[in-house]
Amino acid sequence: MGLPFIKEALTQLFSKPSTANYPFVPREAPPNYRGRIVFHPELCINCNMCERVCSGGAISHSGVETEEGELITRRFFLGACTFCAHCSDFCAKNAIELSGDYHMVAREESDLVVEGTYLKKKPAPKPIPPKPAEQAKPEPVAEAKPEPKAEEAADPACAVEE
Amino acid sequence: MFKKIIENSMAKSPWLFHINAGSCNGCDIELVAVLTPKYDAERLGFKLTGSPRHADIVVVTGPVTAQSKERVIRTIAQVPDPKVIVTLGSCPRSCNVFKGSYSVVGPLDNYVDIDVSIAGCAPKPEAIIDGLALAAAVLKEKRRAK
Amino acid sequence: MSIDINTILMYLLYALVFPGLLFSSVFGLWLAGVDRKVVARMQKRIGPPIMQPTYDFFKLLGKETIIPANAATTTFMLAPYVGLVSLVVLALFIPVGGFQAFGGMADIVVVLYLLTIPSLSIIFGGSASGNPFAGVGVSRSMVAIMAYELPLILVLLAVSKAVSGNGMLTFSLEGITTYQKLNGSLLFDWRLLPAAVAMLLVIPCEVGSHPFDVGEAETEICEGPLVEYSGAPLAVFKLSHAIKMFVMTALFAALFLGGIATGMLWLDIVIALLICTVVTIICMSFLHAITARLKVEQVFKFFWTVVSGLALVSLILVWIGI
Repeated sequence: MGLPFIKEALTQLFSKPSTANYPFVPREAPPNYRGRIVFHPELCINCNMCERVCSGGAISHSGVETEEGELITRRFFLGACTFCAHCSDFCAKNAIELSGDYHMVAREESDLVVEGTYLKKKPAPKPIPPKPAEQAKPEPVAEAKPEPKAEEAADPACAVEE
Repeated sequence: MFKKIIENSMAKSPWLFHINAGSCNGCDIELVAVLTPKYDAERLGFKLTGSPRHADIVVVTGPVTAQSKERVIRTIAQVPDPKVIVTLGSCPRSCNVFKGSYSVVGPLDNYVDIDVSIAGCAPKPEAIIDGLALAAAVLKEKRRAK
Repeated sequence: MSIDINTILMYLLYALVFPGLLFSSVFGLWLAGVDRKVVARMQKRIGPPIMQPTYDFFKLLGKETIIPANAATTTFMLAPYVGLVSLVVLALFIPVGGFQAFGGMADIVVVLYLLTIPSLSIIFGGSASGNPFAGVGVSRSMVAIMAYELPLILVLLAVSKAVSGNGMLTFSLEGITTYQKLNGSLLFDWRLLPAAVAMLLVIPCEVGSHPFDVGEAETEICEGPLVEYSGAPLAVFKLSHAIKMFVMTALFAALFLGGIATGMLWLDIVIALLICTVVTIICMSFLHAITARLKVEQVFKFFWTVVSGLALVSLILVWIGI
């Protein structure tokens, strides 16, 4: 029986342990660590690219119709996330960030959800092409109610602001 | 007073039992890393047991596969009360990237109630220590409610 | 035969408080805590607090007890208590710092018999649980018992021969301690040094400590005979394990270091307890930290060749009376 660790055991008994005393000594994640998702809804342009590239299906969105437009809530469920950072790579406006926060421990499912709400404004009504004979003014924007078909037809990248 | 001693001991000596329900091994390795000298979960009383009968905290990794479903349910049923079920990583919580596979029948909360979930793929050992500490607190709560 | 009420009360005090149940549990749990802490420090870790085995014990008391459907219920539930009671009785027979609750002509033989009962209780409990892992663990535990019994008997023979000289063999622990008080501790007798080393190797196997814990290998066979136990019976088994540490180290202290006498009983007892702690650290923690678990046949071979050989050398040296 070879006993190669006698010296190691005896020296370690009288030296400092190599344990990082974690909960009592806080610890930062290394740089570029991919932790909890931070979403900046004011930058989002609703292109849905993040949803398309997400392998775990962690990203979803839902909308509520309001007076001014559609209030869209983008929802990141960290319990289904792979932390691959594809969403932030593909985001054209850098609206998604992966922070260094790794404390993702929850008793409720709602603690694992990152949400952001932004307004998708209704498109301005298309100006009626003026007939050369009448020379009429275009209608003011707020009064005209656009038809739903017009909204769908509009290019989302151009129509959404804020 | 005796009841109080038992309650305090509950939070100080939670024993873990680890079930692999078809995991990719990432979370398993991180769980073992928690027990290494660098992180040393034993200083908080955590100990990996070999038998579900001795366990207080059941740590499940992996989306529940069709093969492992029966075993996971049976193993969890064998753990004496009070017990806490912890999901490690994203897979048991939501099946993660394996969602929709013909061999995956998860997520775990279709079959048992999850008490604590630790997100991450795989979670950092520090996050696992956080989660296990929370699980120990839940264990004490469950004992008090009993 | 008149039975004095005071005598009964004194024996009850012995059995329940001082060398008996309460003291041996507290000190045994403390020894187990020291063991875990020192092992952790030797492995570069911080390690659990020394109170950790106590927390484990109380936690297990608060857990549900599950009895498997195909278990023999009575044996399954009684086995841990039988083991605990025999260990408490054992603690009464072993002198701690010269203080012995019960003595007699041939208490070494009693000790030898009582020492097998805790291991047997684990075997009975394991085989009553009806679990295949427990079956494997039981057969391994039996091999371990057979492995350490032979060197243990040889060590005890050597010691009693050394004490008795040319006369009849002394099988009395009190006689052994008295001899050591007059002639100095037996550990410093060079003829008995191999026997002391053999005894140091028997202790971890008897207790079920690391390199020799073949019966309770948690990574291979799910803690063997204990696999189906939960709640209070498991707590009692853990307590028995802790008391066994105390009893075995106290036996070593009585056999080889019994000669330390200061004249004050309490100081003697404190010194004996310190010796117990040091022996625990040397033969359990240190061995645990530097070795990996042996296989069953390796344990058997090691004990019947190396350890028995050491004990036999001592016995021969003592017998031919150098």
